Amino acid sequence: MSVREDIGGSPLPDGWAAPAHQPGAFELPTTTFEERAHRTMARPFARRAIAGATDHAVSLTQARFADVDHETLRDQGRQIRAHAIANLPDYLEQWIANAEQNGTTVYFAADEGEARRIIAGICVDENIASVVKSKSMASEEVALNSALEGVGVDVVETDLGEFVVQAMGDRPGHVIAPILHRTKDEVHELFSKMAGRDLPNEAEELTAFARAGLRHAFLTADGGITGGNFLIAETGEVMLVTNEGNGRLTSSVPRVHIALVGIEKVIPRRRDLAVLLPLLTGHGTGQQITTYVSITGGPRRDAEPDGPEQTHVVLLDAGRSALLGGEFEEALHCIRCGACQNVCPVYRQVGGHAYGWVYGGPIGAVLTPLFRGQAEGGEVAQATTLCGACDDICPVRIPLHDLLLGLRRQRDEQGEVPRREQMAFAVWGAVWSRPWLYRMTTAVGRGSLGLLARDGVVSSRVPGLRRWTDGRNLVLERRRR
Amino acid sequence: MTDRATFLAAVRSTPRGDDPGQPDRLHAPDAPTELRDGEDRFDRLLHECALNSTVVHRVPEDSVAATILAILDEADAQSVALTEDLGARRQALTDACAAAGRDAAAYADVAPNRARAGALDATITGCAAAVAATGSIITSAAGAGRAGALIAPTHICVVDRDQVVTGLHELFDGSVLADVGSLLALQSGPSRSADIEKVLILGVHGPGNVHLVLVDG
Amino acid sequence: MDTGEAIADHVGVPTVVLFPTCLGDVVARQTVTDAELVLVRLGFDVRQARGATCCGQPAFNSGHDGPARAVARATLRALDDGTDDPILVPSGSCASMVRLHWREVFHKTDDADGALRIAKRVRELSSFLAEQSATIASLQPQLTARVGYHDSCHMLRELRIKEAPRDVLRAINGIELIELPSAERCCGFGGTFSGRYPEVSVAMADSKIQDMVDARIDLLVSADPGCLLQLGGRMSREGSPVRTLHLASVLAEALA
Repeated sequence: MSVREDIGGSPLPDGWAAPAHQPGAFELPTTTFEERAHRTMARPFARRAIAGATDHAVSLTQARFADVDHETLRDQGRQIRAHAIANLPDYLEQWIANAEQNGTTVYFAADEGEARRIIAGICVDENIASVVKSKSMASEEVALNSALEGVGVDVVETDLGEFVVQAMGDRPGHVIAPILHRTKDEVHELFSKMAGRDLPNEAEELTAFARAGLRHAFLTADGGITGGNFLIAETGEVMLVTNEGNGRLTSSVPRVHIALVGIEKVIPRRRDLAVLLPLLTGHGTGQQITTYVSITGGPRRDAEPDGPEQTHVVLLDAGRSALLGGEFEEALHCIRCGACQNVCPVYRQVGGHAYGWVYGGPIGAVLTPLFRGQAEGGEVAQATTLCGACDDICPVRIPLHDLLLGLRRQRDEQGEVPRREQMAFAVWGAVWSRPWLYRMTTAVGRGSLGLLARDGVVSSRVPGLRRWTDGRNLVLERRRR
Repeated sequence: MTDRATFLAAVRSTPRGDDPGQPDRLHAPDAPTELRDGEDRFDRLLHECALNSTVVHRVPEDSVAATILAILDEADAQSVALTEDLGARRQALTDACAAAGRDAAAYADVAPNRARAGALDATITGCAAAVAATGSIITSAAGAGRAGALIAPTHICVVDRDQVVTGLHELFDGSVLADVGSLLALQSGPSRSADIEKVLILGVHGPGNVHLVLVDG
Repeated sequence: MDTGEAIADHVGVPTVVLFPTCLGDVVARQTVTDAELVLVRLGFDVRQARGATCCGQPAFNSGHDGPARAVARATLRALDDGTDDPILVPSGSCASMVRLHWREVFHKTDDADGALRIAKRVRELSSFLAEQSATIASLQPQLTARVGYHDSCHMLRELRIKEAPRDVLRAINGIELIELPSAERCCGFGGTFSGRYPEVSVAMADSKIQDMVDARIDLLVSADPGCLLQLGGRMSREGSPVRTLHLASVLAEALA
């Protein structure tokens, strides 16, 4: 790419290179949680950064709501979401009618492939050769970028963190903070390579470098693609929050704006935002409100000075409608704030990539089996200790603990549990349901452990306990007197 | 492609879950985005703006132009665009900027040329409202355009005293927002990011300098 | 048990049932013995729950409701002895399982009523002991230690028991109770989780152990043998000088 003369103000930085492609396939089917977790845990910086950032986020969230009646606010948030989801068909139709009234073209994507085809089709039909993109988890779900590149569309992620992720060929590590797991040094190395010179290794300079290039992208792109935090039924609007301002620019500057939004994002009224917005931002980043909140309602109108000529909204089902009215419906209440990740003691150690798909932490452990199926995604629902910290922080009170238990049960019912585990629990159940066998086996267990123990401690790698005793001793309580 | 009827049929085919009913909220929620009992809205606005790095200038009507020119001087802003929502003040402010040697234009004239808009040093806008509890400036597409508040490195917003509402509840619930057009925009301070090792950087894609000129008295 | 004789003659002493749980029967025997000792010192007639096995939690939390129900049923029938005597459980997690989840386990089974009866009788041990704080204090318990308390997740977030075990610790002379910054964060045990994901589980323990080192405690106390197995096991492997004890054992030592 070269400097385009017709664009004033923000020429491309020297050596600006097209970002690398994102990996096309997720790892879910090919690796285990343990393997993926190990990869992050093997990087001391990533572990420290994730623990530090999540702890910090939790303390900010707690401080944010310390002076208000947080519990009542959460009750109200839950009620709004539950009401919206219980009446989703009606609110969705209301939203569609109002959005069309605003001049938005609405599309219906039943699955991920359809979402990709629809958006690629819009790009082809509208002669869109380049798009700027504002961070969207829905687009991660459908692996949109590679599909667009497949039809010759240049895609540039404009959220600073997402831009780094894209250029590294990485995946976002956190819903809100995509490069939580990356160091400044890594960003410096990447940007210096793109610039073809050694940039100053300071966050401010590195941000300025990205800004300059991204500014050019905003001003030249034919299309802008965003997600949406909420769809407001009474007005047919799409709400989007960002701190950098990239969401607003993406949906305002290019000629065509395309939003890809899950159907569960519908809320009845604008005024519901008085509850949901502080819950979203306070639980996401600890902010009272994000710097930019953009509520868009269709293309530029006649009297308006700027704005897109066309707006397209693609409604994504991809497994959502199947959850309505069922045991797992409450998973659809999620507003994607990321608080459950921040508070999760497992996520704190392993980060987002360990979950193998788009969403990490407790909500990831719930959504992954639900959207990808038990065969592919069932394992991640096991990867929590059921400690309940997520239940206590969720702004809309999703009972994540119960949903995780339900998914574990469903995995068993669907026959997706490994045979060894199935057998082990069957034998365990048969033996320990008989008190005399229980007494016998616990006595044998005590006796064998006693024999294996030295000074009351079993540290050898005992058959059957190898995984347990690899990093821990089995300490037997002994009589003191 | 899935058509609307098929798509909506899938959504309708499932049994309905428990509906706790539409929340009935005549009162503002107890949220960080509302005033406390007895709190003065202007005190809170100033407090929140200080927290979000918005510079507030509380001035009488006859000092508005001079205040804005001083801000432009300090920001070394040469090319300036002014938006419709300045109303009656727009022409006077345009003239004042021009008289001070600035390249001042109506945003509506600049915006169609993306290159020109992208090269602006500052935008001067009015607003649809300001929210005290969050330190936010509210603009509409009809008034400030969709990008008018964040396309340039410096954003100056003129707010009338009676435009200041208490919190988000009053903003969204009342009749504050009439016809906003294709965008209802809230902005609370300069553009920011903390993506790189949690270091806070102001002025990422939007302005790094935000000034709120509160016309009072 | 030198104190047993002193009250053996009493007629009409309150009776409590002690349910050791499977951890108590296999690895945490001393905890059960100490719990009994303490209860006797406090003037209770203690009956061991004969025939009770496990609450079924390992299977229940792994999604295997069949085996969970079979095992829990044996325990339920053993505990359902026709009395209203409180059933004390020296494990926050097991107490939570019986009190809150058995209803689900036995839903629409012949044992549904029994499950409700038992749920009402079951008490987590430390919350029961906290009610005896005055009696405990009158016995002048003494133990010199800088103590950190670790909250069991299920005890804290399901049973909502937070202050009770701390109150018991405060009733002991010589204990300096340090509030650990990560007291409420999961230790990484999670039952079968600790065996499924050992690396993650151990790392979770380590993050808490570092806090204990920083706080310079010399005794870590919890009211859940699972957490103690995990944290004590990791500290033992790492050669940490911090002792780990169940609350019941702390009290037993302090009353000895």
